[in-house]
Amino acid sequence: MKRLDDEPTKSRNRTSLSDKLTNGDSVTQRSPVDLLQGLRLCQEAWNPGSPWDRQGAQAALWGRPPGSFLVVSDSSSQNKLLCVSVNDQGKKVQDFPIIHTGSAQRLNTSHLAFSDLLQLVIFYTLSRDVLPLCLSIPSWVWGLTKGPEHLVSQLGPKAWLCPSSDLLPDTMSPGTPDTQDTVMCTIQLTAANGALCFINPLYLQEHGDDWLTHSSVNPNLLNRPFHSKRDRRLSAARAWSGAGLKKRTESVEDSSASLDSSAGSLVQNPVSPVTPTGVILRRASSSGTSDPQKRESSDSISSPIPQSPHRVSWVEDKLWMNPPAPSSLLHPPCLEFDSLSISSIEEEPDPEPSVSPFQVLNSPRLPLADKVKNRLSAVGQALGGLMNPQKRLSKRVQEMSERKGGSFAEALRGFVEQTLKMRPVCGVTSTEMLQEVRSSLTALREMLYDSVEIQSIVDSLGDVPDFELDVMLEQALHKVALKPLYSHLYEWMKMARQNDGSLQQLQANQHTLKDRSLEELEGTAGAGVPDAAMLEKIQQRWATMHQQYSPQNKVDMLLKVCKNIYHSMTVNAKPGVVFGADDFLPCLTWVLLRSDVVTLQIDTDYMMELLDPSQLQGEGGYYLTSLYASLFYISSFRSRLVTRQLSAEAQESLSQWRRRRTLHCNQSRRSKNRRTIRRHRSSERVDEDSEEVNASASKEREGHWMHVGDVTETLQSLTEISGEEKEEEQNGKSEDS
Amino acid sequence: MKMSLRELKVCLLGDTGVGKSSIVCRFVEDSFDPNINPTIGASFMTKTVQYQNELHKFLIWDTAGQERFRALAPMYYRGSAAAIIVYDITKEESFLTLKNWVKELHQHGPSNIVVAIAGDKCDVSDAREVLEKDAKDYADSIHAIFVETSAKNAININEIFTEISQKIPLLERSETGVRGLKLRREQSDLTRERTCC
Repeated sequence: MKRLDDEPTKSRNRTSLSDKLTNGDSVTQRSPVDLLQGLRLCQEAWNPGSPWDRQGAQAALWGRPPGSFLVVSDSSSQNKLLCVSVNDQGKKVQDFPIIHTGSAQRLNTSHLAFSDLLQLVIFYTLSRDVLPLCLSIPSWVWGLTKGPEHLVSQLGPKAWLCPSSDLLPDTMSPGTPDTQDTVMCTIQLTAANGALCFINPLYLQEHGDDWLTHSSVNPNLLNRPFHSKRDRRLSAARAWSGAGLKKRTESVEDSSASLDSSAGSLVQNPVSPVTPTGVILRRASSSGTSDPQKRESSDSISSPIPQSPHRVSWVEDKLWMNPPAPSSLLHPPCLEFDSLSISSIEEEPDPEPSVSPFQVLNSPRLPLADKVKNRLSAVGQALGGLMNPQKRLSKRVQEMSERKGGSFAEALRGFVEQTLKMRPVCGVTSTEMLQEVRSSLTALREMLYDSVEIQSIVDSLGDVPDFELDVMLEQALHKVALKPLYSHLYEWMKMARQNDGSLQQLQANQHTLKDRSLEELEGTAGAGVPDAAMLEKIQQRWATMHQQYSPQNKVDMLLKVCKNIYHSMTVNAKPGVVFGADDFLPCLTWVLLRSDVVTLQIDTDYMMELLDPSQLQGEGGYYLTSLYASLFYISSFRSRLVTRQLSAEAQESLSQWRRRRTLHCNQSRRSKNRRTIRRHRSSERVDEDSEEVNASASKEREGHWMHVGDVTETLQSLTEISGEEKEEEQNGKSEDS
Repeated sequence: MKMSLRELKVCLLGDTGVGKSSIVCRFVEDSFDPNINPTIGASFMTKTVQYQNELHKFLIWDTAGQERFRALAPMYYRGSAAAIIVYDITKEESFLTLKNWVKELHQHGPSNIVVAIAGDKCDVSDAREVLEKDAKDYADSIHAIFVETSAKNAININEIFTEISQKIPLLERSETGVRGLKLRREQSDLTRERTCC
């Protein structure tokens, strides 16, 4: 990651402060919604297609007003390039590669990631971050509306770069502080008035909330925070003078970046909280994650501090620019350091609002909080969506799991205890055992849906689609249900797979195949394989993946690995070559042959069976399937009878897959009956579970496949999902209806 | 405006080198959709198109076409709403492979899977080995969609998917089959591209 040189940046900012105050807001006086709309409509113009490349963009931008820009594809790397006209002595046009990380896009020198190019571009019109200056957008873009009369789709880069009187480059924003994480930024439209809303507590602290008392329909209101962000950044730069922020460790960077997946939520990034000297940056929330009791007492859902919809690292982490608080107010360093460990990364280091630094630091502006709150609630549902629903759900589920005598807590405790008591039995596959765990998880999730507390949160979230809710609730559930279990489950799975000899087979075949080249694995000649450095990186990611207890987070890590593999495939390839599964699967196999296949097999089983079934159709599901398939290919490899020999195993695999209750596209989403189905049986069910598992184990020993099916049916009929599967099993039909 | 979004898993089958991923790339890149999230690579791609009052989000799963990976295909095609089996009109062997795929899908595939047959590389018809009529007759006999395509020249690429959309059963009220959700005002979509479009 690039480290910005703070000093020059700051001095430049200081000198240009006055300019900024006089003309800095010309860009933001128009409706940002128009800007979004306009940019989207004329994307062809600023993001032209194939004939345009780096050279073309450089030529076109030459001599254009500073801030003019184009986004083109880089023919050599397949990345996109942001080409910006700058006023530097040496270079007139600079390129900034835009890279994809998972589903996010970011400049390769920045830590701020965006879910699409449009958001990225808009962000950089408002803040330069790592750019030498903000991007400029021609004024006519605001006026673009839908409709063919504008023929906007025909506008090309020439029109886009046509000199315009209102190009007002903004060179005032200071650079980003040296945080190391990729941060998922979102620009949100509020539901209330369709305006872009950028609100952050720092702004309120710096500038008060007077602007909130104006009419809320005044579009300028919601624009104000745009350039207020610049104000705030300026103050940030001032406060930071003389105090460098410490870099964080590499491993944290890698793993924390994995959390950017849940829609609408964002990456938490624990910025190096303790530095030996200088400014101490701390998250207000650290205590909350470390000490649930404390959090419970100090925390409330309706926060007086609005969560900024636009999250950037230093906002998200509530780095406050006031002089450092007296050390007595700081949390013990050990807690802070805990946030750097990989395991705690998924702990969602929530910036809990009520432990707000406003209070901690005794800010004189404290009373504005209520006013803000009232005002914001008047904005309607919008802010409900802005408070991270994942955190609210996770917190509530955590509380419910700790509540003595609560039905969910009891059911959960029963499930955990029973699962811990289970022992691997010869003849029972780990798949079957995990399926028991999965159906218990589903049942527990249904209990949560049935609970009034969760229901009230769900209702307050408004329009979140059902499957997103499922994902969020799953994530919350994993923390209380899988975290205490996962190392036990690993043992379990490993033993089961050792008992049936599959791990030994896998290792033996790995040994046989490990020296094969990509060509010998039927890979395409044009595709590259990871070099030593990349392979090392991949190994680290596999290790991180293994440490995750949440199957969702494991999949996120898997996607990173797949992205690395794809990168290695394409890096030396001819431009324009498309690599599909014909190329990817051999390459993945090549990588697996050089990895710890035993651990990967365990992790794959874990993900496959415990991931919420609805997650299995998307990209995560695809690459998980590829991982599974590739491992299966290795373990079932026969050197002489290359293909036909596989069919017996293929059939067996098929029947395993048929049994797998995951990936049910037919699964009914939270229908009404599903909500009620779990209501009465929650507490007794867990006990049943374990008995059934034991029963199924003994029957399986007798070698009666279908008996196990029957038993698990009894067990699984507790949920609709399983009920559907039961029918499939009985009918013996194909796995999908 | 309410529009339901359906996620449709589509599996690509066919010999290696027949142009499976080129077809998908062409389909996905063909039109501009600001809300689309680029995927890691061409082996899995998505595209959302509107069909009547539904949005169909195609989740396109590519499979490795090499003979030795053929046994792995069931893991990929299970749960698919549709399968596109691709052959190369200049390679008769790839058409024979296609017939095997059809058989296998009938035996092991999802029971109501929509099958589409795409004869790719119709731009190089000089070297044609499979007659269009033969392929069409075969496709008709198994009630499959049939098109000859050219990923290179973008011929008939969108048509395959449009026809798949047409053959997918309409969304039932009971919400079975696919995940549905309601879309709200268009503006909101901007913030929800990951789930809606």
